[in-house]
Amino acid sequence: MGRLAGKKVVLLGERDGVPGPAMEACLKNSGADIVFSVTECFV
Amino acid sequence: MKVAVKGTSYCLNHTPELAFHYGNTPYVERKTKGDSEFLRELASHLQSYARAASYAPNLAYIGAMGLDELEKYPQPWLENLAAEPARYGRFGEIMPEDEFLGLMDISDVFDIIWLEENFSAAVAEKLRKNPVIPETLLGRLEKGHALQEIEREVSEKDALPLYFESKVVGCSRKGHEIDECLEAYVLLENVACKAGGVLALLHLLRNTGLKPEEIDFVIECSEEAAGDMNQRGGGNFAKAVAEIAGCVNASGCDVRGFCAGPVNAVIAAGSQVAAGARKNCVVLAGGAIPKLFMNSRDHVKKGLPALEDCLGNFAILLGEEDGVSPVIRLDALGKHSVGAGASPQAITSALVWEPLQKLGLGFNDVDKYAAELQNPEITLPAGAGDVPAANFKMIGALAVMKGQLEKSQIPEFVRQKGIPGFVHTQGHIPSGVPFVGHACEWIKAGTIRRALIIGKGSLFLARMTNLSDGASFFIEPAEAVKSTQAVSREDIKRLLLEVLSEVASSLKAE
Repeated sequence: MGRLAGKKVVLLGERDGVPGPAMEACLKNSGADIVFSVTECFV
Repeated sequence: MKVAVKGTSYCLNHTPELAFHYGNTPYVERKTKGDSEFLRELASHLQSYARAASYAPNLAYIGAMGLDELEKYPQPWLENLAAEPARYGRFGEIMPEDEFLGLMDISDVFDIIWLEENFSAAVAEKLRKNPVIPETLLGRLEKGHALQEIEREVSEKDALPLYFESKVVGCSRKGHEIDECLEAYVLLENVACKAGGVLALLHLLRNTGLKPEEIDFVIECSEEAAGDMNQRGGGNFAKAVAEIAGCVNASGCDVRGFCAGPVNAVIAAGSQVAAGARKNCVVLAGGAIPKLFMNSRDHVKKGLPALEDCLGNFAILLGEEDGVSPVIRLDALGKHSVGAGASPQAITSALVWEPLQKLGLGFNDVDKYAAELQNPEITLPAGAGDVPAANFKMIGALAVMKGQLEKSQIPEFVRQKGIPGFVHTQGHIPSGVPFVGHACEWIKAGTIRRALIIGKGSLFLARMTNLSDGASFFIEPAEAVKSTQAVSREDIKRLLLEVLSEVASSLKAE
């Protein structure tokens, strides 16, 4: 549990950078409440 | 398990007025805000044909400039235009907008596109000079309609006006009274995509010397959906394109996967050829009108020309190995599987490391990698970064993780193994395949021995899955494949005979 524990988190991923599911995986044990996660393509 | 790349073609259709009216960004702006300040400003950022045909990345796309030349070319490219515009290159052409509207009419079999009569006559004369358009196709160009008829179709029947030099010169009509899948905008998008595919196929036939009737199968891999309200994406573009180009012995189907579509389509077509099911298979795609001027808001803000003014098309002919044409290895394909994971290293591993391992190769055994090839002069001002460079860095980083490269060597790895982004932001078009033409030339010349073509598609945009997709394939020289084949057959047979002969001799001696 880190400093994101209990915090609401919005994840905006990018296909050629870091996608949303990858960030979700990183935050899995952080205790953060992921309220929205999406991956977009800007090209 | 190999298939030969017998030829390629690459064309652009310079369509700033289609972009201004029907590119998704200005189209939605006009629909939601009317005549906004952005739209008024955008009108003064349109580029002329001469500028587009003198722009170095566009010249590289059609093969009027080598990629090595582009790499050395002074930047910014948009401030260092070529001395002379070039319409034609080794791979294809940059077709001006009026002629492309004519080609759209030629490609239309449902009277969707109407052209004004004087405009149609003028376009006919211009198209007659095009070396890839035969008289039979010119005969398909309509005589045209009176301007009043077109205006009535627009004002009373929901047709969309088509413009050239800011004047109405035609319209795109709807295909059904109430079907949203056949409304004028959808059909405009689809006919433009089809016409782009036709142009690429005509250039491919010219580049390869093949007759239209020698084509067996066409796989189309754009990002458009042809269908009606009962089957929105029923299809298909492939056979429709083949019909216009006179490929009477061909059939075809469409393959979709956003930007991963073209690489998956090449694999699908190549597998048919390698299996002996079909002889000459073409993979092709036309461009996407909605993607035109996608980043124009940022280009206007930064005082740049609206660079996304070209539809992109390509076609690749795949056939049996001939000992000359470079080959695609079907025994070492990259695949981003469902369970592979979404992290950048997981994706790169699936598309680069795993196919390398299948051949017992390392990262340095590939001379050039081609992933997303968007032109950075388009994407950087919009905050989307230098996409090709980001992909090459990720491959370099993975090589470091696998212990095949020092971290300090990444910049040199990117410089040596990468290529400059030179392709329009046309969705499926930039994803790896624009390098196939240049790669084949370099492989034939002995400049490189192996390239990896990578396609990555944003499946999540369709809201059916959170996953993205990816696929990749190697291209190698024909000679190398021949010698590998000899090892697997003749050499082994000879070796066995030698061993048996030795055994026989030793038995005799005993």
